Amino acid sequence: MERLDARVVVVWLWRVLVFAVVLAGAAGIGSGALDVGVSSAAAAVAVFGVVALLGATHALLRYRIWRFDVREDTLYIEHGVLVRVRTTVPYVRVQHVDSRRGPLERVLGLGRVVVYTAGSRGADVTIPGLSRERAADAQETLRALAIESEPESGEGDAV
Amino acid sequence: MKLHPLSVPVRALSRALGFGWAFLIGGAALSGGNAALTGVAVLGVMVAVVAVVAYEIAYYRRFDYELTEDSLDIASGVFSRREREIPLRRVQNVDVTRSLVARLLGLAVVDVETAGGGSTEASLRFVSREAAADLQADVRTRRTTPGDAADAATAATPDAGDADSESRSAADRAREPTPVGERGELLFALSNRDLLLYGLLSFNPRLFSGIIAVATVAAPSLGGRMAVPDVGMVVLVAGAVALALGVWLVSAAVRVVQFYGFRLRRVGGDLRYERGLFERRDGTIPLSKLQTVSVEDSVLMRRYGFASLAVETAGYAPGQSPSGGSEAAVPIAPRAAVFELAREIEPVADIDLSRPPERAQDRYVRRYALAGLGVVAAGALVSRLVVSFPWYALAVLVPLAVPAARRAHATRGVYSDSDHVVTQAGWWRRKTTVVPAHRVQTVLRKQTVFQRRWALTSVVIDTAGSRSLSGGGAVAIDRDGGDADALADDVVDCTLLSVGVRGDDTAAAGSAAD
Repeated sequence: MERLDARVVVVWLWRVLVFAVVLAGAAGIGSGALDVGVSSAAAAVAVFGVVALLGATHALLRYRIWRFDVREDTLYIEHGVLVRVRTTVPYVRVQHVDSRRGPLERVLGLGRVVVYTAGSRGADVTIPGLSRERAADAQETLRALAIESEPESGEGDAV
Repeated sequence: MKLHPLSVPVRALSRALGFGWAFLIGGAALSGGNAALTGVAVLGVMVAVVAVVAYEIAYYRRFDYELTEDSLDIASGVFSRREREIPLRRVQNVDVTRSLVARLLGLAVVDVETAGGGSTEASLRFVSREAAADLQADVRTRRTTPGDAADAATAATPDAGDADSESRSAADRAREPTPVGERGELLFALSNRDLLLYGLLSFNPRLFSGIIAVATVAAPSLGGRMAVPDVGMVVLVAGAVALALGVWLVSAAVRVVQFYGFRLRRVGGDLRYERGLFERRDGTIPLSKLQTVSVEDSVLMRRYGFASLAVETAGYAPGQSPSGGSEAAVPIAPRAAVFELAREIEPVADIDLSRPPERAQDRYVRRYALAGLGVVAAGALVSRLVVSFPWYALAVLVPLAVPAARRAHATRGVYSDSDHVVTQAGWWRRKTTVVPAHRVQTVLRKQTVFQRRWALTSVVIDTAGSRSLSGGGAVAIDRDGGDADALADDVVDCTLLSVGVRGDDTAAAGSAAD
């Protein structure tokens, strides 16, 4: 079982920070406009503190729980803090594999791999926060495995 | 090939009706009786109508379709052109719809669905009835089904000539002027009595929401007129009952009209259905593209020994499936017949469902009891704040949690063998879904924080079917943790085996390792 690169926590914490700032701003403006007896600054700070704390805890737990495994015939993924999800994707079902890198991920030298299937529910499976080399490597491996596992008879047609 | 020439007036008329009314009503409202302005509005309508007719003529002239040996090519578009090529191998459904007007004129709409994209991939509005039937038959015979492909692969050299001549003759047979309904093996025909029963037993909630929308607008004005509170209450209750009855009858009538003359046939490797009183729908579903088969029965239907059957492909986008639910569905039939039919379509062995562990039932009791207490609390609030009524009477709901939980437990289950996974769920409308192992896309095990307390896990079997997104997919709810793991591993193994990724020996080694 492989774990994500620890730097991914920075990406998640950054998102939490942005989210907390937006909510704090909204709370500050809202409390000012509605006159609820709390100063805008106090409301903003309180909301920021609570959201940041919850978000940071969530991000850390998320990192601790995230696992994936490139197995012989399947890709196995385990994640989720509140709802624990364990996904098994047979390579033969993989339609295409993306590798994506956002601005912050590029600064940190990270990348993520997105695996698409024809299914309706778990149609795209993302592995976030891989080091750049690992992401490229994983994409290549998954692509190769998907092609390799394709049966010649055409029976394996996904849909 | 061109569309039918009559498609120009029909399309123009249907479009002009929409436009024209908007212009006319808008114009009349704006002009406010001023003769000059009304004249301008009328002129506007005429210009719009001319524009629509011109557009439709251009559309007709610029629309071209052709069925080649292995694809359906369509070139269309007046201003921006689009040339589309649909490989016949990828076609999921071919639907022919004939509205009342189209039937009178001998026209039909052909819709071709593939698994990709959000909307219908090809829509021919309108072609002649014969051309539609030919197209449907030709797509069927020219498409190489995966079964044929597998045969061809084992034979190493695909014996194209033979298969071709065979399909040709089939196509020729199909073109013979036999009545459209006479071809193929009849699997099921809906009798009028069953149809009526279906209408009465099914309830379309969408109609109800419409009535509620009307009622919320109408109620305040009605309430104002009813000064005497007691009489007002009685009238309101009577009105509500009458309304509910009316909705029920209307929804029954809608169902009857939709499914009148339902027939399911098997033509070669396709399922073919026909239905409708005014608007006839006629669609094909290749069995080779079938994703799941499910048998549904509501409490009422089960009471009278009936069930319905739904067949799912990846063709329709989620929520896009034409009204009336899954298309190649047998709306209602005796249970035994439905199961027989399901077996014929997807040969599954005897289904021996295993239920969730006993502790799951305790969980349901608590959950439903909490919901009951919630209702009581809400009642108390309403009683205090809005209208005073004996809210404590709602407390009788709480003990109902026990039978409800028993029922929930008894309707959830899963069964799997080497070729299929069967899941069952649904409190009121029980749904038994059969997923062929070779259709499984991914397997997910989900555990919420609440389930974790009870060491229960739900296993989601994802397929490319179109209904899975709306929660209709195959889910084995609340399995014991270890069972869930075993089930997930089994299903993945069977899937790999059935698509030929893994040989029998490795599978045996895998099960030995378990």
